[in-house]
Parts: sequence; C-alpha cells; structure tokens
Amino acid sequence: MELEQLLHKHFGYSSFRPGQKEVIEALLQEQDVIALLPTGMGKSLCYQLPAYTLEKPVLIVSPLLSLMQDQVEELKRFGEKRVVALNSFLSLTEKRYVLHYLEQYRFIFTSPEMLLQQQVQEKLAQMKLGLIVVDEAHCISQWGFDFRPDYLRIGDWLSRENRPPILALSATATKKVVRDIRETLSLKAPFEFMYNVDRPNIHLGRVVVEDKADKARWLMHHVTETAGPGILYVSSRKRAQQYSEALLQEGVRVAAYHAGYGVEDRQFIQQQFIAGELDWIVATNAFGMGINKLDIRQVIHESMPANIANYMQEIGRAGRDGHSALAILLYAEGDEELAKFVVTGDLPTLHHVDRYQELLSQQIQPIQMLKNGELSETAFRVLDYWLQRESSEQVKVRLNHLALEKYNAVNEMLQIIQTKDCIREHLVGYFGQKLQKKPENCCENCGIHYDVIKKVCLKEKKKVEMATWESRLQQLLMGN
Amino acid sequence: MFHQILLQIFQKLNKERTISAAYHVLRGKRSGQTIQDIGLFQLHQYFGLLPKLSRTTFDEAVNLFMQNSWLNVQESGHFYMETLGLQRAQQTPTFFFDGWHYRGNEHVFFARLSLIVQSLSHQAAAVRTFSPISRDTMIQAWVRTFLQAHHYKEGHLQQQLLTECNHVLTILPVSDASKQLVLYRLSGYQLPGWTWQQLADERKETVLDSQLAFIETLHILLNEVHQKIDDYPLLGHVAEGLKVKILLTDSAQQTAQLYEQGYSMEQIVQMRKLKQSTIEDHFVELAMYEPNFSIGPFVSYDEAQKVWQASKQYQTKKLKILHEALNDMSYFQLRLVLAKGEV
Repeated sequence: MELEQLLHKHFGYSSFRPGQKEVIEALLQEQDVIALLPTGMGKSLCYQLPAYTLEKPVLIVSPLLSLMQDQVEELKRFGEKRVVALNSFLSLTEKRYVLHYLEQYRFIFTSPEMLLQQQVQEKLAQMKLGLIVVDEAHCISQWGFDFRPDYLRIGDWLSRENRPPILALSATATKKVVRDIRETLSLKAPFEFMYNVDRPNIHLGRVVVEDKADKARWLMHHVTETAGPGILYVSSRKRAQQYSEALLQEGVRVAAYHAGYGVEDRQFIQQQFIAGELDWIVATNAFGMGINKLDIRQVIHESMPANIANYMQEIGRAGRDGHSALAILLYAEGDEELAKFVVTGDLPTLHHVDRYQELLSQQIQPIQMLKNGELSETAFRVLDYWLQRESSEQVKVRLNHLALEKYNAVNEMLQIIQTKDCIREHLVGYFGQKLQKKPENCCENCGIHYDVIKKVCLKEKKKVEMATWESRLQQLLMGN
Repeated sequence: MFHQILLQIFQKLNKERTISAAYHVLRGKRSGQTIQDIGLFQLHQYFGLLPKLSRTTFDEAVNLFMQNSWLNVQESGHFYMETLGLQRAQQTPTFFFDGWHYRGNEHVFFARLSLIVQSLSHQAAAVRTFSPISRDTMIQAWVRTFLQAHHYKEGHLQQQLLTECNHVLTILPVSDASKQLVLYRLSGYQLPGWTWQQLADERKETVLDSQLAFIETLHILLNEVHQKIDDYPLLGHVAEGLKVKILLTDSAQQTAQLYEQGYSMEQIVQMRKLKQSTIEDHFVELAMYEPNFSIGPFVSYDEAQKVWQASKQYQTKKLKILHEALNDMSYFQLRLVLAKGEV
C-alpha cells in the first residue's frame, strides 16, 4: 500500500505535512533519522505510521510522563488498542502483566528510567523491535538545557548489535546538540530533516525600556489597550501573580499560570483560555507544554529567555492558525544578569564536587547531600552521573564548562536583542538556515507598523458570570 | 473562616497546650499526643482539615492574633487567650466539619465525582475523547468500574446522577454560595471549572477560606449521604470506603491485637521493638477510642477518682500539675484516666 493510503486509512489525513514523508521513507529503508520538527507539526506521525507497515513493535522513549500520557491518549483516539505506557505509574501487578505481553503491543512508550531496569532490558533483548524512537532527544545532550543523565545511560544500551533503526525527535536543537545526539546514540549516517524555523506570520518586536518600573508601566498600558488572546511570559511565580492581579484590577480577563498551582487549577486555566473566557495568561515558562490553541495573537516576554531555543519555542505558540501574530520582547539594561543567575542556579558547584568526595571518604552515601537539601535533584543527578565515571578534576572542568555554555546561551540571546540588523535573519541563521524572504512588518529593526497589527482591544468583553448551582449542575450533566 | 477555626481551637486548648498543638490538629498529625488532645479537648471536627498547611501561614495567623491582643503566647509556646480573643471566639459561627471521620478522603470523593461528571458531560455531548481532570490512575480505574457498573452506555446515568445531586443539594443546610463553590470545582464539556483564586476573588475572601468552605460542604454532604444511604445509591457508591471506621492509628491497632491475645505491655514492648513510651501512647489511644477497653489492670478505681477530683480542684488537665498533686501516680496512669473520661 502507498504511504498516502496508509495515512488515510489509519489517521484520516489526505496528505503529509512537510518532512513527514521523507522521514518515514528513510526509516522504512532502515536508515537512522534525526528529525527536528516543532510541537504541533505532526512529529509523532513519523513513528505512528511506520508502525503499521513494520509488523513489529515500536519502542518510544520519552522523558516526560505527562507527554507520554498525551501521546498514548492520542493513539487511542485514533482507535489503536495495542498501545501501552510502561512507566512508574503502573502498579507491580500491572507492570508484570504488561511485561509478560510486551511483544503483543504495537506501541510501547517508556521512560529512560524504566529502560535502565534489568527486567525491562532482558525482556526487550528477547524481542524483535521494528523501530526505536527517542523523543525529546535534545535531553540527551550534555549541552542541552534539560540534560538527563538517564538519557546518556540509554545511549550505552542503544549501541548494541542488531538494533532496529533509531528515530531521534526534537522540537528544538542547535547544530551542537544535533552532533551530540548523533554521537551519543551512535547513529549511523543518519538522514537529517529540519523544519523551516522561520514563522513569517509572527512579527518580531523588541521594546527597550529604562528599568523595572518603566517595564511595568509599558506592560500595563499595552495589555489593557491591545487585543489578545495573548501570553505574557515572566521570570517568576511571584511576578506572574503580581501582574495578573494588577491586570485583573484593570478589568482584563486574565489569569496567572505557574507550577505552583494544583493540577486541576492548571487545567481549568488552559480550558478557559481555549474556550475564550480568558484573553491573557501571565505565565512562567511552565506554560505551553501541550497547549493547543491556534489563535494566540501575542506573546510578550517580560524578561529575557535563557536561550534562543526557548525563545523560539515560546513565541512559536503564537499564530498557529497562520494569521498575523506579534511577539514582543522587553529589555532593560542588565536583564542578562538576572537571566544568568537563573540559568546557573540549578547547576552543581565545585564545592558540591568536594563535598561528594568528602562524604564518600567518610563512607557516607553521597545521596545524603540531596536529603540535606544541599542541592537540587537535577543537580545531584548530574553530579552523581559524572563522578561515577570521572575524576573530581575532570568533573570540575566539565561543570565550569557547563556554566560557561549557559552563560554563552544567554549572551547569544542578548545578541539577538541588541542587533541592529534583521532579527529574523539572525534567528534563522542561528539554526543553520537561510532566510528565504522577509515578510512585511518583519521585525523591530526592519520596521513594524504596530497599529496595523495590534487590533484595538474590544473593551466591553464580558466577564463570565457565575450561574446558580442548579443551572450549573444541569449544564454539566445534561448539556443545557 | 481559617481565623475563626483557629480561634475555636485555641479556645478549647486555652492555657493547656502550646500553640503548636493546634497546628498538629489541623495537619492531622498521627502522634499519640495529638490523638489524645483530640479526645481530651473535643477537637474531632478539626482533625486533618489542612494536611498541607504551612507553618508560615499558621504563624502569620498567630502573629495577627497577638497583634490584635486576642492571644498571649509565651516563649515556651504556651498561650492563653485574652478577654478580647475569648469574645471573638464566642462570636464565631458553629462549623460542621467532620475531619475525624474523613481525614482528607473528601478529596478522593471529589476527584471521583469530578471525573464521573466530566465523563458523563462529554458523553452527553457525544465527544469521545478528552483529557481527564484526574491523572491519578487509581481514580481513573475506580471511575471506569463505576461507570460500567451503572451501565453508562445506556445513557440514563446523567439523569439519575442529576436527580440525586439535586436532591441532596436541595436539602443540604448550607448557603447557595457554598453549593455554587462545589459546582464550580467541577468541569465538563466546554464548561471549564474555576480556579481557587478565581473563586476566592468572587467570594471576596482568601483562597484558604474558600478551600475550607468547600471541605465543610463536602463533609456535610458526605454525612447526609451516609445517614440515608438508601436514598443515594449513586453518591453512596462514590463515597464508598471513604469514612474512617477504625479510629486507631495503624500502629496502635497492632498493639491492641497483641494485647487482646494476652501479651503484657512489657512483652509487647519487646516483641514490637518499640519504646515503652510509644506503647504507652497506644494504650492511651485505646482508652480513648475503644469503649470496651478497661484501664482497670493499670489504675484502680480509687486512683481514677482522685485524678478527677484533683482535675476539678485545680481546674486543669495539665499532666504536670496533676502529677505534682498526685505524686504517687505515674504520668501514664494519669493519661489513661484522662483519656478514659470521667466515670
């Protein structure tokens, strides 16, 4: 059967999106593939479709449990029953059952942690897999921003003989990260596909202000006077809270969003935003994962993103419907210092290296450091991983290097902000691509007619009123 | 509401305990001392209302009370209520929490109900997939079984649940605002719920107060359902297994079993490899919550009488004072007598 026919039969689509077909064809010829596709651009189809011609299970390694759950549910929605998530949510009985029947599933989702367990490895070694997918592959890179040591460990496991082709997927990766992915996963002459990073319908604004107070004045004015839906990204939970309160006072339909809220509250905010009951979300970078709203018109950064990849991912949430959207980055002199402070806050320090060795020499488990709250969990994982493999001196060099890389990433972002040339050209160039064509209202430096883009806010947007408990109950259960 | 609850607890513990005792009660600490305080000072309704209450939030309230001259706290943490504070406490309304019997399980009830309502709402709209409001696989599995047991595919469950909810909410002796609060924590197809912050803004109170009003309403609702279980086949099922029947801590339960098998206290200490004082805590717990448990083997009737006389004479349940007055009795004996209650 032709690939197009398969696509229609299993997923109901009539044509492929850019990149999908090339990636799938390479995989079916047993070639390794690195595919860089943004979220919401049909990344998962690259392994979903091959599964129906391979007749062998596809193993998908995914570092985020919530994302894994979404993907499992997506497949079930298309009527696929032979799909399972082998993760720490399973009870012991469930896990035993799943492992026993593992070869009967078409899609096996699992986490790097799970893949390191001996019984899982043994079971997989007995099976014939059709394809191995490494999702969010940028986590494997030690220079990546979400480095996961467990991902490095699976690199060892993946380099075994007679393995099926590997598909490494990521939404954001620079050249350096791509090289890391290739080497760590021991990919053999992989086919590389990278989407066009340019989003011509997003106009790239930049506003330089004097200081924090100036920033607040500008933001309050801008958000109350222009149209949403929009996301305002801020640097801390506290700031998110403050801005949303101030904007609420001004009658803006807004809510704060950050990881400090409960799971239900976070879902409620997303649903309200999608349903159009909210015009603005004031969020930390916790917001965005899995949000599927096509008509976001503005993304504003109150503070500097930690790196260009994050920036691209965050502004990329605007204008998914293809219509004009506006991204504005606010900058006050010295913002980069705060950004640097934040990005290195999570790294282990040289002192931690010595402390780790000191505990070892006293025959105390180094994990005690974590229990004492001397460093974060991520930091400990990184430290523990490297000190089991290298000497203190080597690890110290490595840590210094890591911090420097993070500083560099902030500086690269700063260059984008400070450039006098075309911002779009700079951004696209950073990902190793060439800008084909400059759109109208391209960027701050090429010139933006703000008044053409920002529609005037319809002031009289009605706040959603509470219904009586009787009618709410009726609506919930009977739909009217 | 939080402040009113605190005032009520402080009033009951007045001059007898440190301020921390109130904190432990609200967090539902399962230590011998706290469990004993619950019985001695009749604090059952407040037990475990806020398992995640931070010490900062608690201390802020205490500081405010001190500034208002409601409370006087000594360096040791012991406190007494000023006249103003006692007046304030008198003015607080009666609450109908039942922390002792639900211990946070009201949230399990609500998680089940939320997912049931969300599923039925989508089914009514003929929308087959949605992102479940509860990610807890235990809750998901439970709700799946529930829906199947009540034949949701036939399409009548919506109407049945609506009738039951309407019935229970109509007769529930709480304000319409409280009922609205509960309904707006539920969500359905194209009907997002409201966040705690949004609800608190609407009600012009703190998030914590909204959450407490929500918990109180659920406790009242659950007790209504349990009392007339035959009237609520569906809600009764949703509430299944959530009311705590065995009131002893797990560890005290084990001690009780050994004691019933005829082992002495000393033997139990050895067998369980626990401290004598811990096992004593268990016996005190037994004295408090097990009506059939006799303290006779440990304290004579005459001795118990003396304790009660002294307690009246000195107007206190403080062990230290009672021990000074009755120095031939051990602390353990005193606690047993107080826990068992006046004969």
